[in-house]
Amino acid sequence: MKGLKIIVTLFAFLVCVILQTTVAKWISVFGAMPDFLLIFVVYQAFKHGTVPAALWGFVIGFSCDIYGPVEWLGAGTVSMTLLGFLVGLLEERFLMMRLSLRIVILSFGYVFYDLLFLSLTNLSHGEVTQLFLTRSIPNGIYTVICGGLIFYFLFHRKHRKTHV
Amino acid sequence: MLKLGGLIRRFCAFGRGILVLAFLLFLGVGMLMLPVPTKERLSSFFLSSVFYPVQYLVASVDDYRNVIEENEKLKEQNARLRLELDYARDGMRELTRLRALVRFDNQWDYPIVTARIIGRNPGRMVTTLILNRGISDGLKKDMPVFSMSGLVGKISKVAAHHAQAQVIADPNLKFSVLNIRTRTIGFAETMDGKMLTATIPTYAGIQVGDTLVTSGLGGIFPKGIGVGTVSEIQPLDMEVLSLMVIRPFQEVSQLEEVFVMQKEPDWIVRELLQ
Repeated sequence: MKGLKIIVTLFAFLVCVILQTTVAKWISVFGAMPDFLLIFVVYQAFKHGTVPAALWGFVIGFSCDIYGPVEWLGAGTVSMTLLGFLVGLLEERFLMMRLSLRIVILSFGYVFYDLLFLSLTNLSHGEVTQLFLTRSIPNGIYTVICGGLIFYFLFHRKHRKTHV
Repeated sequence: MLKLGGLIRRFCAFGRGILVLAFLLFLGVGMLMLPVPTKERLSSFFLSSVFYPVQYLVASVDDYRNVIEENEKLKEQNARLRLELDYARDGMRELTRLRALVRFDNQWDYPIVTARIIGRNPGRMVTTLILNRGISDGLKKDMPVFSMSGLVGKISKVAAHHAQAQVIADPNLKFSVLNIRTRTIGFAETMDGKMLTATIPTYAGIQVGDTLVTSGLGGIFPKGIGVGTVSEIQPLDMEVLSLMVIRPFQEVSQLEEVFVMQKEPDWIVRELLQ
């Protein structure tokens, strides 16, 4: 059973990678794209807690870094690992949440990740501000919309009556 | 006790999580601190080994989508080229017709005006054609209208820039025809808007397949414009007269352009018409 879960998780990860690298481009709106990999990390954090989420955050952050500018190698790894760990503290085993709360956490998570990532790169303050306003905010809004839909289908459709 | 146990378990899990986090952060920060050449080596190593299958898979998905997009573009291009080809073919047909016209034009003593058909009468029978030429092009009432195949009719009304042609399929139009082989003359008319009929003496020896042309009598049509072929001969009462059914050379409903001969009716006809 555990083996099956691992296979399903790996498959979900692969789907997210494909979504992020292909589908995200196709469904971009005025250049804004959703971050399916961040949604995956947050989902893992809600579902399985700190350790798996931190591990997945590390893997995904590292994958993103590999394809990014080589000078920034490690920035995404650190940011995504921390995000996974922090959101993992709100694991659903200990805390049942409403969809709205999950969306709020996803929003804050996105802002936290992006600000940390940008601050770990060697960009100037002005560049970070400009990137945050022009790229992070539209992408974040799109990510939160997509994440909300995904969370609804994954967490709330089956357990609609059991929320506290 | 149960609550206490849960708390301890959670604390242990948290502690283990902290350890894992510390280790992962150590790796992450370590990567950040690496010199750029080392980062490059590390990056290229992972790209060419661990990430290669993922990259391959992603590229395949992207390729698949590109193939679909390319296919759509090619279909669109194909449709456009087909249209252009049809247009070119139509142009070629028009060119052939016009070349033939140049040769045809020299057969007559009268100038010929080419006209496009821009309208037809909406009834079941095509009795009238609207032409895009009028008085400004030298057209006048009762000028003969014909096509490459044969007689079409005559101008019945004329305006400044367009004209109406009464076609041979109109039951109101009657004209004389000449059998080329027997030189017999008859008056052709139509009853059904398709086939022409003419009454001729039985002794004239008309046969099925004989060619008929305009006789030049009547003063409107010049002599020699092809009309049609005899398709049937029906004996009439007393067997003195026969009715010949004529299949016209030109099917009026298939016309696109016609020629108007700038020949005015003979003076006698003009006087009669007045």
